[in-house]
Amino acid sequence: MERHQNRYNSILLITLLKYYFLKETRTPRNNVVVHRRRKSKSYRLSYRSGLGAADSRLGWSPALTARRLNTSRKAAGISNIAERVDPGQLALLVKTEWQLSYVTPLHQFRHTQLKSYARQLSAFIAAGKQQGLAVEVEGLQTTFRVSFSLVQGMTQSDEDAESVLVQIHSKRLFARQDEPQKPVWSGWLTCINGNPDYLRALPKDFVCLPLFGCSGADGLSALVKSWFQQSFDCCFGLLEISHTSLQWLMALWTNCHAESGIQHLKMIWTLPAAPPLQVTYTVDPEDAWELWSSVRKGKGGGGGGEEEEEAGENYIDIEEVTSFMQGLKSHFYRHFRLDLSAGSLNQVSTALGSAKYSGRMKISNSRYMITTLTLLTECALLKMPI
Amino acid sequence: TICPNPPHMKITAKPFVSVLVFFPLEAGTPVNGNDEVERNMVLVEKLAYSKGLSPEAISIMLEFAMSLRMGTSLCARVLKCLIPATLVPQEAVVRAVVWLSVGKIPVSTQILFIKWVLTVFDMIDAKDQLRAVYGFIFNFVTEENLCPFICHLLYLLTRKESVVSCSMLILFPQGRQPFLLSLLSLYKVFCPEMVMLSIPSRIKSGFRNHNMPWKSALIAVQKGAGPHVAAGISPASTTIKTNPRKRKRCHLELPVMTSVVSKEAQTEPSSCGKVVPLVQLHSFAQLLENMHRIELPAQMGSLLGSSLALQYLDCVQDESALLRLNFWLGYALHEEFLFCGDRGASQNSQEALPFLDRLLSTQHFLQEGFSCSEAFLYKFLNVWDGSLLRPQILGLLSNIPVVPSAQIRQLLFEPLMQLFFTSSLFFKCGLMECLNNMLLKWLTWHSVYALEDDLDISLNSHTSINMTLSGFKDSVMELVDFVGRLASLGLQLEGCHSLLLSFVLDFYETVCDMFMKYGLPLVVMPPPGVFYPALFATDPVSVDRLAYIMHRWGLFTSCFDNAAMHVQAFHISRQMVREFNHYIIVMVNCLWNSKMFQLDMGLSLGEDLLLKSKVPQYWASFDLVHHPAFMSYAVDFHHRVMLAWRKDMDLNSIKDSKPWSWYLEFLVSQGYDGLKQFVQSNIGRQQLPADEG
Repeated sequence: MERHQNRYNSILLITLLKYYFLKETRTPRNNVVVHRRRKSKSYRLSYRSGLGAADSRLGWSPALTARRLNTSRKAAGISNIAERVDPGQLALLVKTEWQLSYVTPLHQFRHTQLKSYARQLSAFIAAGKQQGLAVEVEGLQTTFRVSFSLVQGMTQSDEDAESVLVQIHSKRLFARQDEPQKPVWSGWLTCINGNPDYLRALPKDFVCLPLFGCSGADGLSALVKSWFQQSFDCCFGLLEISHTSLQWLMALWTNCHAESGIQHLKMIWTLPAAPPLQVTYTVDPEDAWELWSSVRKGKGGGGGGEEEEEAGENYIDIEEVTSFMQGLKSHFYRHFRLDLSAGSLNQVSTALGSAKYSGRMKISNSRYMITTLTLLTECALLKMPI
Repeated sequence: TICPNPPHMKITAKPFVSVLVFFPLEAGTPVNGNDEVERNMVLVEKLAYSKGLSPEAISIMLEFAMSLRMGTSLCARVLKCLIPATLVPQEAVVRAVVWLSVGKIPVSTQILFIKWVLTVFDMIDAKDQLRAVYGFIFNFVTEENLCPFICHLLYLLTRKESVVSCSMLILFPQGRQPFLLSLLSLYKVFCPEMVMLSIPSRIKSGFRNHNMPWKSALIAVQKGAGPHVAAGISPASTTIKTNPRKRKRCHLELPVMTSVVSKEAQTEPSSCGKVVPLVQLHSFAQLLENMHRIELPAQMGSLLGSSLALQYLDCVQDESALLRLNFWLGYALHEEFLFCGDRGASQNSQEALPFLDRLLSTQHFLQEGFSCSEAFLYKFLNVWDGSLLRPQILGLLSNIPVVPSAQIRQLLFEPLMQLFFTSSLFFKCGLMECLNNMLLKWLTWHSVYALEDDLDISLNSHTSINMTLSGFKDSVMELVDFVGRLASLGLQLEGCHSLLLSFVLDFYETVCDMFMKYGLPLVVMPPPGVFYPALFATDPVSVDRLAYIMHRWGLFTSCFDNAAMHVQAFHISRQMVREFNHYIIVMVNCLWNSKMFQLDMGLSLGEDLLLKSKVPQYWASFDLVHHPAFMSYAVDFHHRVMLAWRKDMDLNSIKDSKPWSWYLEFLVSQGYDGLKQFVQSNIGRQQLPADEG
């Protein structure tokens, strides 16, 4: 009996370790899945077609190539996004903290139908608010006006679909004509530098905008999501910003310090003590920059502005990010005798933006928005079920 | 007459019919002391609170209550137990509203009724007739006690037309209660010119939720009924959408099947003229009739809820439709089992179990696995503990299509190996069974479709990448090898447990028939780690099955001799033939010739060691007489037959030629057909056991 007990313990431990591993790398498999599925499909296809039966069966799925977070990415260069994107829209994107979700590809979504979508969604919200049992009658005196708009100038590659911005304004029933409408909810769908293989493999009637951010009342978010689900047969799931992604963001932001000061580099860690210990670790921007430069030295990329001309080829590797983190951790250890590796990174923030493990994210400087959104698009695509 | 109550009435699967017979009674039946009524009421209440009432039952009961056939006390009691299981028929509500105006119903009961309507408002199947009697309902506004509730009901029913048509500016002597203001504010929105009152731009919410008497019961019934209702065959059976705010994680709920007409109507108004939404089809005949113009539902996930829709899916050729279904299904699986980690431990099984069962039965129905469940499994196997929903996960696993040999190791074998060696005997058996089913499905699939093409050419006609026959064979080979390794080690770990051995032999029964039954020219012998435990098993069934398997292989190799044309395709190596012959020799020598431990048998033990063991006639200890699995039969046979001849107990005497053949017949009569076939195919009739001594 005791022997069994012991064995169970060890099994439990193994499972936990494995799980931890999976969460870290999220999808440990690389491109093998893809080819395999394609193959088995075509095997089937060739047989099937001989029978004259259905040409495509349940086995279809798009080719997914990179099923792992990139280990190297372009450093944030100054982008001229401010010149291309409508300033009003940009201001909205930048000033708000967004709750992120991933979205499976939208079926039959048309960028040309945005006006009609706005009408349908406001009708849907009105209907949702009128339901007797499900929703309280609170707030009935207001109605909602929905607007859909295209965010032009955001896309980075030809495969990216244009981003869409959804805004909901409240309109009080007995408001005077000139009373301004109050924005109560906004959200957007975007795809920045999405994996081209994945996007190309999707059939034409799907539009892939995998990253969804929203801000506003939860009730409205739920209504909007369920309208999207019913209209375009897609699914929404919470997008957490993983430990690794948070570290990437730290490195990418710190790397920009020379051009626009990050003011501070703040991390919040949770350590598994009883009771749980929360550590807020703020680093002076100059120190962070020095550490980062020393890590970058080896690459020859160096710090400062001297390599402005080669910014095009300025890539950061995961090794650099890891050693940057290692440097920060060992510094902390020297002072406080606490090894942060034992804990988990929950939140990072600089003057350029902030991100939380729970999936809340804020971009404070539009110049580096594209880099951040590229990373997040990648995270969202990794969450796709197929 | 007092209740004509059928005596056979009891709570069964379909209790409604019998119970409800009694309710449309004539007026004036006494209530007090009427035990029958009491009993029936209890029955109905029990049903209502456990499963909810069907639409017909709601109709009958509501009519019964509101007509006051049995007085006012029963009326309230009935109202309190009107928990709808699915929908509330609109007609019933309209009729009940009409009863309201008859005026015999006490005010408290009237209020109770309106509250009930408000509570189930979303479940009323249509609202058009109710709106048609808008003016009629409006009249009740003047009743002081009813007014708040009537206002709320009107609020829910109001359309622009109703405001205009009623032209009801008579209105509201009672003052400016919040509920009146709320209703008025709505009117003002629709027809600002008709409401002269100035209404403050911010009013407190005028209506309260009145669902108290039914709330908890409704939630309970809906929770219980969710999967039950969805299991209905008709695609029209709508599941009740539970409030998303009450359940945080609702990704396992099937979406309600709805047509996309509303969307299409606005985008492409001309195109939706002739299509028939799947929702509107109720029978297979209808499905066939409209096959060419069926419109898929807005959310493909809803197809899983109806077998009729699955029939359609089975022959639909729409790539994106399947992709949509795969996206939804994959999303649900990922969210439930992979992403949920931190967000509250799995309250699983409760919802996951029926969900997976449904997915499995769908896959069985379609005779194919979904690619999303495959992709999900490759990830999930790495984190699975081997016990969570084991039958379902193994079921899904056995459905996955052929995995190319280059990836099979990483995707399948590595995670399975870890699970296998760290899990109980029970899991090991389950996994063996699962892998056997997987192999069976692959082979069946091959035998169905491979006939289409020539055997060893590339099976592709128009796609760029394809799996060739040899690719398929490689995969099967990998799988069989893998199971061989698992089985060898597993048997060793579990002390050659006969249950595990039985599952392993199941697998090899499939393997030995790969050519005979499924036309796949491939021969794989079991590894020694399976062969010897089976040969030396203590239960006769295992030995018998091993003999059967070797017999089938014998058939195959003879086949192989004859059909020279297949030789190329077979890839049978000399090594394989040698292995087979070796096994046959071992078996014959062991069971038949009593020549264990001869030098050429591969089982070499030092002579001195054998002598030291002091086993008498060790070379004969595994023949059919002394084999531990058959010893009891030998003794039995000896008692029955041999004792007639000789007084003493001497099992060796069975080996004389006559008793030996009788003994074999005796064994066959005990049902050991495998042995019989093995002997017939491998040992000449005239051959006798070697006389040793």
